[in-house]
Amino acid sequence: MTDAAVELHDVRKTYRMGDQTVHALDGVSLTIGRGSYTAVMGPSGSGKSTLMNVVGCLDTPTEGVVEVDGVDVTELSDAERTGLRGDEIGFVFQTFNLMPQQTARENVELPMTFQGVGRSERRERATELLESVGLGDRMDHKPNELSGGQRQRVAIARALANDPAIVLADEPTGNLDSDTEADILALFEELNAAGNTILTVTHERLVAEHAERIVHLFDGEIEEIEEIAERRIAGEANR
Amino acid sequence: MNVLESVRMSWRAITGHRLRSVLTVLGVVIGVGSVITFVTLGASLQAAIVGDVATSSPDIAATVGPAGGPEGGPGSAESIPVFTEHDIEQLQGIEGVDAVIPTGQVGIAGLEYRDDRIRWPAVTATTAASFDEDEFADGGPFTAGANETVLNPAAARMFERNVSAGDEITVEFAENDSRTLTVAGVLNESTGFAAVGGGGGTPAIYVPTDPFYTTTAESPATGERQRAYPQLTIRAASYEQVGAVEGPARDYLRNESDASQLKPASYEVSLTTNDALVEQIQGILSTFTNFITGIAVISLLVGAIGIANMMLVSVTERTREIGIMKAVGATRRDVVQLFLVESIILGVIGSVLGTVVGLAGGYAAAELIDLPVSFAPEWFAIAIAVGVGVGIVSGIYPAWDAARTDPIDALRHE
Ligand SMILES: Nc1ncnc2c1ncn2[C@@H]1O[C@H](COP(=O)(O)OP(=O)(O)OP(=O)(O)O)[C@@H](O)[C@H]1O
Ligand SMILES: [Mg+2]
Repeated sequence: MTDAAVELHDVRKTYRMGDQTVHALDGVSLTIGRGSYTAVMGPSGSGKSTLMNVVGCLDTPTEGVVEVDGVDVTELSDAERTGLRGDEIGFVFQTFNLMPQQTARENVELPMTFQGVGRSERRERATELLESVGLGDRMDHKPNELSGGQRQRVAIARALANDPAIVLADEPTGNLDSDTEADILALFEELNAAGNTILTVTHERLVAEHAERIVHLFDGEIEEIEEIAERRIAGEANR
Repeated sequence: MNVLESVRMSWRAITGHRLRSVLTVLGVVIGVGSVITFVTLGASLQAAIVGDVATSSPDIAATVGPAGGPEGGPGSAESIPVFTEHDIEQLQGIEGVDAVIPTGQVGIAGLEYRDDRIRWPAVTATTAASFDEDEFADGGPFTAGANETVLNPAAARMFERNVSAGDEITVEFAENDSRTLTVAGVLNESTGFAAVGGGGGTPAIYVPTDPFYTTTAESPATGERQRAYPQLTIRAASYEQVGAVEGPARDYLRNESDASQLKPASYEVSLTTNDALVEQIQGILSTFTNFITGIAVISLLVGAIGIANMMLVSVTERTREIGIMKAVGATRRDVVQLFLVESIILGVIGSVLGTVVGLAGGYAAAELIDLPVSFAPEWFAIAIAVGVGVGIVSGIYPAWDAARTDPIDALRHE
């Protein structure tokens, strides 16, 4: 693949806690092609979320270079990184991070609000997205009035609001039953088929096998990159 | 993000975090309200003390007398009618002048009340402005142009039967010219009418200059015949302004006035104030100004700290929300704008309520300790400005600070 959506060169993220140092990422180099579908696996604490945050311009690596669309984001200004987050990247947090006082629909509208999308258009698109994740009947619920899986789906809908070229999803199906999980995976496949780049973290082999390849992390290092010979297709399995 | 959008979002955040918004508004209400309450209390205390000390109004008496002689006090000057209506008009135009009150004597033959006739030499013609509403034991001031009179207590007692407001007395202006005047009011005992010194013992009968005062002179400035008086009382708007009024009034009267031309060449116009009283009152005023400034600054400081505290806590608690907003594409400017609008809304609501509460509090407190309620509006403006200003700064500072770092740091905030 000649055209890379994301490239990591020897990325390190080190936390210093007193005299103890934690290498959350310990020299990670990775190329994620445009339009590819990659899964990240690894034990708890292996640095998966840290990797996602660094790629999503939410966090700055201690060392190394992170390129998004060929641009070194570690060199960008805060405003430029915000711009990338706003219209290039859609991020699904492991802990959802929804606005607690806003309804599901308002949460999904939020990224569009900051991009200056008009009110009626925003509303229409938020409704559409929530329906596509099966929450058409929960639009006016606040996060604390939703189940864990429903919150997760609001977070997914929000990540897709600005039709991002790169979707970063940190355990997007962790709280879902198998049917809903299949729906979400089908949604990702659809997006991928439409040319969006997808990077997702998961603990489940079966979920990871929907991707083209699996990156195995261990102690902040890439242990293995596994190409999937026979991808699972959610759309077919389910319907 | 446009302003309308941020107002909408901010309002949504305010109604969303209802308890936090109410507490923040409460902080502003208490801050602004306490400043206004304490300042009102101070101003009322000042008014009460000045009211007790000031037995007369901030008056300057203008008379004419022989040049070089001792400054002629009220009544000591010779009664030469030199101050014309034109002079009164000009003096009224001086900055800080509240009223210019002419006084003159009108010679009469006698007075009669219920068949009790007294020989009496003169009544005093003046204008209604020379009386304060609270100087009256009975009734009120006369109306210009009406057949009315005001008596001092001694005058009310000098007939066989006491006169009270509403009674009619007959004034014999000349032989065959008697007029019946209604007593509009009777002054109380303590009143010292500075212009004529007609307080306690000597009976004094006051009538409106219009129509009873008939002494005229040709005004050199206008060429018309106008009423002319031997004495004027120039009343300053406040004791602080007595000094500022006195200079221009003296300049005018000595150099340009009709009086300066009508008076005999060897006479001069003199202005007299009750210097001791003016000085004493000005001393009290400056002490109180310092006192009020002191309590205002202290309560402003306390209020500002309270407001800042509420705002800082409230916004810091929302650091995670700022992280979320940044993560989904809000610029630092967007975040600051949202919190700015929110702080302005909360600050303005709080200030308006605080002003109402402060006014009510100050009023209630002054009433409770029996003070005449008096307000110091310049401090209200300062209290509101500081309240809203501190609210804004302490509202956007933590937001600006939280929006400065990587979103992940804000998201980790607990
Ligand atoms: N702010 C921090 N300060 C100190 N150490 C941190 C911080 N954030 C993460 N770490 C450490 O970095 C390592 C990687 O964390 P990370 O969240 O990336 O793990 P993960 O692979 O996503 O785990 P999980 O599967 O449990 O979500 C962990 O050992 C964690 O303790
Ligand atoms: Mg994680």
